[in-house]
Amino acid sequence: MQDELFSPTIQERPAPGRPPWRPESILYPAVFGGPLAAATLGVLNGRRLGLAGHRLLVVGAAGLVGFGGRLAVSAAVDGNSAVRLAGMVTGALVWLAVLFFQRAPFRVYSYRGGEPASLVGPGFAAGIGFGVLEAVLILVLVR
Amino acid sequence: MTAPSPVLARAEALLLTDRPQEALAELSRLPADEAVEVPATLLRCAALGQLDRWSEVVEAASAGLAAAGPHPDLLWHLGRAEHRLGRPQVAERALLDGLAQAPHDVDLLCTYADVCAANGQVDKAAKLVERAAAVEPEAPIVYATRIQVAYNRGDDRAAERISREFVAAHPENPAAHALLGGTSAARGRLDTAYEGYRQAAASRPTEQAFAESALELRIARHPLMLPIRPVLRFGPLKVWLGVILVVFGLRAAGLPTISAVLGLLWLLLCVYSWIVPPLVRRWLRRNWH
Repeated sequence: MQDELFSPTIQERPAPGRPPWRPESILYPAVFGGPLAAATLGVLNGRRLGLAGHRLLVVGAAGLVGFGGRLAVSAAVDGNSAVRLAGMVTGALVWLAVLFFQRAPFRVYSYRGGEPASLVGPGFAAGIGFGVLEAVLILVLVR
Repeated sequence: MTAPSPVLARAEALLLTDRPQEALAELSRLPADEAVEVPATLLRCAALGQLDRWSEVVEAASAGLAAAGPHPDLLWHLGRAEHRLGRPQVAERALLDGLAQAPHDVDLLCTYADVCAANGQVDKAAKLVERAAAVEPEAPIVYATRIQVAYNRGDDRAAERISREFVAAHPENPAAHALLGGTSAARGRLDTAYEGYRQAAASRPTEQAFAESALELRIARHPLMLPIRPVLRFGPLKVWLGVILVVFGLRAAGLPTISAVLGLLWLLLCVYSWIVPPLVRRWLRRNWH
């Protein structure tokens, strides 16, 4: 009897590329920077973790949908605090999508003894850069 | 079959009491022909494995296989050692050769599951360990592998639940306590985690991994980490959403000053939680060795 579980499936490991960031840490730039920062870091980190292309697409799409939601709130409501709140909430939601795809691959990576890369520099860059970009886009498009 | 030689019996007793070095010394007194037989080779592999001397396990197991032909237990030692040495494909080959002879061997199933789990094939790993659990649900290696697979899948809740079952079934097993420590720490239950590591380290003080875990926990319990404890306990998302709701709720309730102060404090805490933990970790690590 040929048992499917007993057929070899281990592939040669791809040459180690750049180490990934801890997916949990992306929450911080996601909340401060908004959905686009979350999605960008999520896609970059997904590539470092070797995720399949369609998963990266879902993360990217989640970022665009999140930003669309924030635009809609900004158009509908007056006042800056609602715009900021919408950025935080949509950023956190996009981070949830990132975490959904990346938690298990990252654990496998650490189980093999891999160390995460530091997110401090890229996190601040993405948080501030995309935060400003989203603010400008909101001003130009709906205000 | 003749009765096992007294040398083998002594070596086995030494192994069971965590004295692998003395077991090896005992085994070296065997006559040459007996030393390459399967029972002696298995004990030698087990002793070398306890000492983390994996390349010597590979040598010993290969010599035993060359002398005795394919044997599932020797193939298990070979596969486990190759896995530890970071050669998953060689490990897979050895373990599959073993499983071809002994498809219900719990050690082979669990170690192969571990190889798969370490190489991103967590679903296959889960199926393999399920099969082992159907054969011997109470075996320590089955519990340990189920916990590792659940953790690698990102299912912390299941990992913690199985750890509790493991401790309940084997309260004397230090690995059970260490795993409960690890999975509790992942869910932010630092006091249960500490208790788990304490018991594990107490019953096996020489084990490097337990000491390492205990150090990680010392980092998490360090006074400087106290402000971050709620985030560890409840998970970042709940804490974040809670803070956002409170900050914007206060503003909506007409208390913008308190809301602004709270927001600022939270911002400072975020920066703190980014900067301080790596420093504490580096500091304690440097003073640990």
